[in-house]
Amino acid sequence: MHAVANVAAAASQAPLQVSGLTHRYDAKVVLDRVDLSLEPGSVLGLIGRNGAGKSTLIRAMLGLLVPDAGSAFVFGEAALKLSDPVKERLGYVPQQPDALAWLTAAQMFDYLSRFYPRWDHRFVDSTLQRWKIAPKKVMAKLSPGERQRVDLIRALAPQPELLVLDEPAAALDPVARRELLREIALRAGESGTTVLFSTHIVSDLERVASDIAFLHEGKLLLHCAVDDTKERYARLWLPAKLAYAAPASRFDKRRHEDGSISVVIERDDDGAWPDATQLPGARVDALGLEDLFVEIAE
Amino acid sequence: MDASLLTIQPASAEPIYRQIVEQLRRLIAGGQIAPGDLLPSVRDVAGFHAVNPMTVSRAYSLAESEGLLERLRGKGMAVAAVKRATQSQVQRLALLEPQITALARQARELELPAEPVLRRLGKLLEE
Repeated sequence: MHAVANVAAAASQAPLQVSGLTHRYDAKVVLDRVDLSLEPGSVLGLIGRNGAGKSTLIRAMLGLLVPDAGSAFVFGEAALKLSDPVKERLGYVPQQPDALAWLTAAQMFDYLSRFYPRWDHRFVDSTLQRWKIAPKKVMAKLSPGERQRVDLIRALAPQPELLVLDEPAAALDPVARRELLREIALRAGESGTTVLFSTHIVSDLERVASDIAFLHEGKLLLHCAVDDTKERYARLWLPAKLAYAAPASRFDKRRHEDGSISVVIERDDDGAWPDATQLPGARVDALGLEDLFVEIAE
Repeated sequence: MDASLLTIQPASAEPIYRQIVEQLRRLIAGGQIAPGDLLPSVRDVAGFHAVNPMTVSRAYSLAESEGLLERLRGKGMAVAAVKRATQSQVQRLALLEPQITALARQARELELPAEPVLRRLGKLLEE
């Protein structure tokens, strides 16, 4: 009876929530006071350049790494002390899966399925077939792309409520990537699965993510809904003679060789752009996420 | 209507839900889909294009609130039974909004004052 009540209480908690996460490797700061929380049912794309700290953040969020400072919670439980019932609700695929490599995929699935009451055998069989993966081959002998797909199946089969994927598309070809995105999109939409995935391929994120978080040099630069991001930010370009009029921005301004200047601008609460956009010669460009990312991460 | 009739460009600066609404608007205006035609389910569109189903729902709701679509009980979304002639002037003008915005932007980039541009446009419209 008690256990049921606890599970119900945890269900109302954010699937993932961290505050003040800070971590260093030697002298290098890889996470700098990161605050982040996921709404149930959302699909958050975590984007950043290689080395931005994405994997470190994910590992710290899940309690796989003890951060220098800050706290992390999974469904309301301290990430470093997760109970088995909470672990069962979580599926995680690391960037380079290598666990149980001496088994075949079929052996691993058979073994793991005993621990998960909601293990979806049909999904496993049909997906192995669809993705043309030999179930009887020792996993150490699979290609990196095949190995990653086996691990995706492994993470999805228990029908987790929270799915965390670290660079899931890295070793996949375009067709397999599209399949994976479709799986993510439909699970989020139909089963209400909450998803966090990191990537440096922005177009993947734009398809399925409902929210986006930009991580740059260990800092979270931006966290908002994908649609809002596209509508709220733009790039303002001002010729050299107007460079003095560049509006204040939370992002760095860029000065070009000819003295002209460009700056990422944001709509105010009434939806209006800064006044400088009205100056003759000023140009406002709509930004896709990739452009926006390049603008603020350079 | 089939989900493949829509084209999604994820990298565009225009949010995906707006892309869908704009395409529905054009498909309806161009007669490719007619009043009463059923739309593909949210799941079909999301599955075919590998996009978030919430994005598709948002597009359908927006299109419904704009009067492009109507919800048929038990059948899903269909093209609303509005005849072209009954669309208000405001609604028909809204169809031109993207082109007008683009024109205004290009005129500004060329540092053209409004007056000659409007004069030229007026002439074209009278033809």
